[in-house]
Amino acid sequence: MTSGKVSVLDIKGLTKTYGAVTAVDNVDLHIDHGEILGLIGPNGSGKSTFFDCSTGLATPDSGSVSLEGSDITNWSLNRIAREGRMLRSFQKTVVFKKLDVEENLVIAGQMFTFPSVLSTFSVGKRSRMRIEGLRKHARELIELTGLGPVAHMAAGNLSGGQQKLIQFASMLMPDPRLIMLDEPMAGINPKLVERVIDTIRYANREMGVSFLIIEHNIDVVTSLCSRAIVLDQGRKLCEGTPAEVIANKQVREAYLGG
Amino acid sequence: MNNTPLSTTASDPKRRNLRAPIVIALAVVALGAPMVLGTYAVHAMVIALIFLLPAHGLNLLVGYTGMLSLAQAAFFGLGAYASALMSIHLGTSFPVNMLAAIALACVIAVPLGIPALRLRDTSFVMCTLGFVIIGQAISKNWISVTRGDMGLNNIDKPTVGLAGYSWTASNPVEAYYLALVLAAFATWVFWLVVRSPAGRNLVAIRENETLAESLGIPTWNYRLAAFVIAAGFGGAGGSLYVHYISVASPLMFQTLYTTTMLIIVLGGGAGSITGVIFGSFLFVALSEGLRIAPELRMIAYGLSLLILVFRFPQGFAPFLMRIWDWAGGVDKKEGSA
Ligand SMILES: Nc1ncnc2c1ncn2[C@@H]1O[C@H](COP(=O)(O)OP(=O)(O)OP(=O)(O)O)[C@@H](O)[C@H]1O
Ligand SMILES: [Mg+2]
Repeated sequence: MTSGKVSVLDIKGLTKTYGAVTAVDNVDLHIDHGEILGLIGPNGSGKSTFFDCSTGLATPDSGSVSLEGSDITNWSLNRIAREGRMLRSFQKTVVFKKLDVEENLVIAGQMFTFPSVLSTFSVGKRSRMRIEGLRKHARELIELTGLGPVAHMAAGNLSGGQQKLIQFASMLMPDPRLIMLDEPMAGINPKLVERVIDTIRYANREMGVSFLIIEHNIDVVTSLCSRAIVLDQGRKLCEGTPAEVIANKQVREAYLGG
Repeated sequence: MNNTPLSTTASDPKRRNLRAPIVIALAVVALGAPMVLGTYAVHAMVIALIFLLPAHGLNLLVGYTGMLSLAQAAFFGLGAYASALMSIHLGTSFPVNMLAAIALACVIAVPLGIPALRLRDTSFVMCTLGFVIIGQAISKNWISVTRGDMGLNNIDKPTVGLAGYSWTASNPVEAYYLALVLAAFATWVFWLVVRSPAGRNLVAIRENETLAESLGIPTWNYRLAAFVIAAGFGGAGGSLYVHYISVASPLMFQTLYTTTMLIIVLGGGAGSITGVIFGSFLFVALSEGLRIAPELRMIAYGLSLLILVFRFPQGFAPFLMRIWDWAGGVDKKEGSA
């Protein structure tokens, strides 16, 4: 585990309780540079809560989160995204429904192109050129994710799968270092599943993005991830290659219910 | 024109584009109206133009950022009192008073906004209502400064001076042209704000704040910025108002002012600049015009509101949008508003 090299993300002893439920219980996790790590576990095992606590959406009761060696445990969601370039998706897909696909992506890139809140109020030439640059980048990602034909349609009018692609393309706008995806394939048709998998691979190989992916489909995990971690009732049950994890007796029991 | 970019379908080459003629006609009407209208109608139009200022601010909050604030009337009153007091005690001119009113409203909005913006939804609305009530209490009770219910009277009519020349808007027609220029300028500033990248971030916050946060947008800072800018628009409106009617009194904090601003924005169409411009004329002109029959005024006003909410639940903006599309020769395929 400690190979001397700094991990992209290094989480230690993360714990979160909701009332009587310990949703995440003393979980350690690290992601190496360029890795695609899978996070699996039965419903209610604390995967989404783990995401929330590591991205600043929820405050962990204890534990630490460090990104490339710097402590970001108490950073807000927006700061982790903006300064850490660590982006996350939500299990229940969210897009800016009334805005078209291109506009969704431009918004996603803005805070990474403008140096401050104040500078975003400018409508000068420099500001317009920055937005032009973002539009160009957005169009490239729209092509990459196959959203070209619907680029100027309101995001809310598109299918669930297309919205997942918008969400994913939005996260690629800022040249991210780490992307955390919460069930990116759930409820989308098989053709789009292929496209999402291809895009994740492309972002990983060509753009150097590391990934942490919550995914129920074990075939997807096997094909994408080099390593997987299993959560059960908030605890880390085991970790290893996807094959090792599937073979684990405890994992089988956890999924079959005990 | 509308903040939601919609794909427009190809225009029909056979039909003439009527947009330019419509804009020219509206400009002619705006410039020529005082010459044909009676004094009272001109007065109503001045009020409409003045209320457009705080309404723009409210639109920024409700229509673009998605926060319902009732505090616009408090900043309107603040701007009015600040200008009145400066005019009386310092003898400063209208432009100075107006700039001071804007600055003061913006500065005061920061300590008010910081606690208020921690609240959400109805709690936030109640908190902003509290600001109006506090404003009224101060204006009523700080008698040594505000003269309480007697109010501050005989405020100078707005005078603008440039390079030795000075001009005073001493009657409704002159005030109309002054208000027209200021309202047009305010609209231009508002347009710049909502068209800026920051304006796009405000819309993102309105659409989904958590998603906006997750994309690196510091939503709290933007909401505070919107609150402060809106306050500035409110202060500007109050300053112009007090110099026009030449009286500042605690009545300015009455619910009538708050509801008027709300009706202009919600009735005109939150999130649409043209909708709100249209709204300010329609509602203020309507309520002022109805003064002719005082006993029926409030009833007629109330009835027109009822018709509005049932007939145009989104305000007039979608309706205006359709006219605009029609004028440009665009055939609407499906309504997605
Ligand atoms: N905001 C909350 N308030 C109270 N309890 C919560 C909250 N969020 C999560 N929980 C509880 O924490 C536990 C873990 O939930 P979580 O959503 O993290 O699981 P999950 O592994 O993502 O499940 P799924 O596969 O169904 O998405 C559950 O028992 C859930 O009820
Ligand atoms: Mg979940």
